[in-house]
Amino acid sequence: MKLTIGHLYPDLLNLYGDRGNIQCMMKRLQWRGIEAETIEFEIQDEVDFSELDIVLLGGGSDREQMLVCERLKEIRDDFKAYVEDGGVVLAVCGGYQLLGTHYSTDQGVIEGLSIVDIYTEQGKDYRLIDNIVLESELSDMPVVGFENHGGRTYIKDQKPFGKVIYGSGNDGQSGYEGIIYKNVIGTYLHGPLLPKNPQICDHLLSKALERKYKKSIELAPLDDTEEREANTYIYQRFKGKVSRPQDQEQI
Amino acid sequence: MKIRRLFAIWASKLTGFVCKLLGKQGLTWSGKIALTIDPDILTEMAADVREKIFVVCGTNGKTTINNLLCSTLEGQGKKVICNHSGSNMLNGAIAAFVLSAKWNGKIDADYACIEVDEASTLRIFPHFKPDYMILNNLFRDQLDRYGEIDITMNLLKDAMRIAPEMTIIVNGDDALSTYLAQESGNPYVTYGIQEQVFEEQSINEIKEGRFCKKCGAKLFYNFYHYSQLGDYHCPNCDFHRPELNYNASNVKTGKVLDFDANGEHIHVNYRGFYNVYNILAVYAAVKEAGIPLQNFNEILGKYNPENGRMEHFSIKGTEIILNLAKNPAGFNQNISAVMEDDSPKDLIILINDNDQDGIDVSWLWDVDFDRLGDPSIRSITVSGIRCQDMRLRLKYVDIPSILEPDIETAVRKRIADGTGNLYVLVNYTALYSTHNILKRMEGEQS
Repeated sequence: MKLTIGHLYPDLLNLYGDRGNIQCMMKRLQWRGIEAETIEFEIQDEVDFSELDIVLLGGGSDREQMLVCERLKEIRDDFKAYVEDGGVVLAVCGGYQLLGTHYSTDQGVIEGLSIVDIYTEQGKDYRLIDNIVLESELSDMPVVGFENHGGRTYIKDQKPFGKVIYGSGNDGQSGYEGIIYKNVIGTYLHGPLLPKNPQICDHLLSKALERKYKKSIELAPLDDTEEREANTYIYQRFKGKVSRPQDQEQI
Repeated sequence: MKIRRLFAIWASKLTGFVCKLLGKQGLTWSGKIALTIDPDILTEMAADVREKIFVVCGTNGKTTINNLLCSTLEGQGKKVICNHSGSNMLNGAIAAFVLSAKWNGKIDADYACIEVDEASTLRIFPHFKPDYMILNNLFRDQLDRYGEIDITMNLLKDAMRIAPEMTIIVNGDDALSTYLAQESGNPYVTYGIQEQVFEEQSINEIKEGRFCKKCGAKLFYNFYHYSQLGDYHCPNCDFHRPELNYNASNVKTGKVLDFDANGEHIHVNYRGFYNVYNILAVYAAVKEAGIPLQNFNEILGKYNPENGRMEHFSIKGTEIILNLAKNPAGFNQNISAVMEDDSPKDLIILINDNDQDGIDVSWLWDVDFDRLGDPSIRSITVSGIRCQDMRLRLKYVDIPSILEPDIETAVRKRIADGTGNLYVLVNYTALYSTHNILKRMEGEQS
């Protein structure tokens, strides 16, 4: 068996250890004897979604995100078709925002990919920066990570990725974080997300294998002691506390 | 002399003294108190410097460059004000001036060397306009605090506008720093390493500013020295690595550094390729200011900062090197320096996530730790508040590690069972405390 991961535009979108998500998926496949390959697409490259099993779209600086946005419009239809066909996507931070219909800022409205019916508005006062802990149906363990975003994302009646236990989440108000749409996870969680949340990683891997080989595939268990202990440390440190990101940074 | 200034200096000195008694650095408080009592104090004291004022900026290398520059100037018989400890925000800069003043409030200084946190330039330059700014590099660092490298660049751009006559001494191998210097309209000179030094390239390393800041096209590199430092040009516009006014050639690295700076031979017992830039920056600054430079090699050789930058300790037969590693570019350079020593060694990596470290440790995944899989590294111990994250990071490059949150215990264990050759890499808030622990342990033996 083999899975191919497409990393979209790491030359522009490579903030906050996004590579860790790739590394985590690659290793958890290889440790189980499943072949894994990552293709890095640079901004001028053609993306053939039919050869991809997992797509990772990370975050970048505002300026770089704008460049990517222009390019993504050209591949939007192929990307959308891939998603509707059950293609696995992990979109983090800026990548998550790009999945929506638009991002409105003081300077104007940036059109998104409209892959999921969500939208983002620029926050009025402060960035939401802190560790974050979620409860998600995709994991028995809490989901832990780090959020750092100026935008507030509104997901309407879309299904959230998790319920916020500590931190701010999508808009700092709703108590929810991220979205799940078909086999797409959109989230603000850095950390990076996957290493400390191995069940989320395995969820993405199983969905991708299932789609490619058209049957349910049981992933062999791995010794996740280190993953669990790192996860538990964050959970224990922040559960029951109140996050005050506004103390840290003005927009 | 205004009474107010005198009073500010006394209060500030007293605070510094009390903090020292309490075993704290206390520089921030000293500066704060002086400024509260006399808001003009920094402006006035800076004006009393007889010759020139240098400020040192850049993500990595600030403290080393600043201290080396100070030692070099002192080696020419000059009197120098310097914020040695790396306390580099507004209060730290004030403290450097105030604490060097005599009790009569006067300072006696030919030069001032002040390292300044990039984000603090805008707060400091309204008080005085430096004659020179050394700008060594711009890397990603503490993204949780500054957001993005673009934000840091904008801050520096605004700061340069406040001081239009300040000459920028810029690392020409860094496209980001060079762009800033050129766009500012300030006079500038460049230093760098003209020729390729390393054959192989680390393709994994994250490189900042791959796109031309001037026109947006992807920059083309003839070669990289490390990170994004190298020989670049834009295929679309006229942006390219400028001619280097101060050039290092014949660079050899290993347990010593050996190179020629504009033809002048430099040979020092420093490790780490990045120190070529640090030394070159100092050389450029001294030459640019028109100061006759003598005994440079001796001064560099004697320099012992005792500030945790490649600082050496010897404890019960174990040779220990302590170094700061606080962001991906710095960490990758640290790993290179460790790997240049091919004898058996143990390694301790300490990661904290206090405010000054940056509370987001995601950056650990941007460091090329796979290079630590070398058989000469006999053990890796992970320590500090986020030791769990560090252990996990190493697991995903198939490198096992020993977990020991307490640094002193970790050091004692590796002294007891290790190779006698120990490297300790720590991030910011652990530097001072680890330095103190190692100093104390060194003292225990005698």
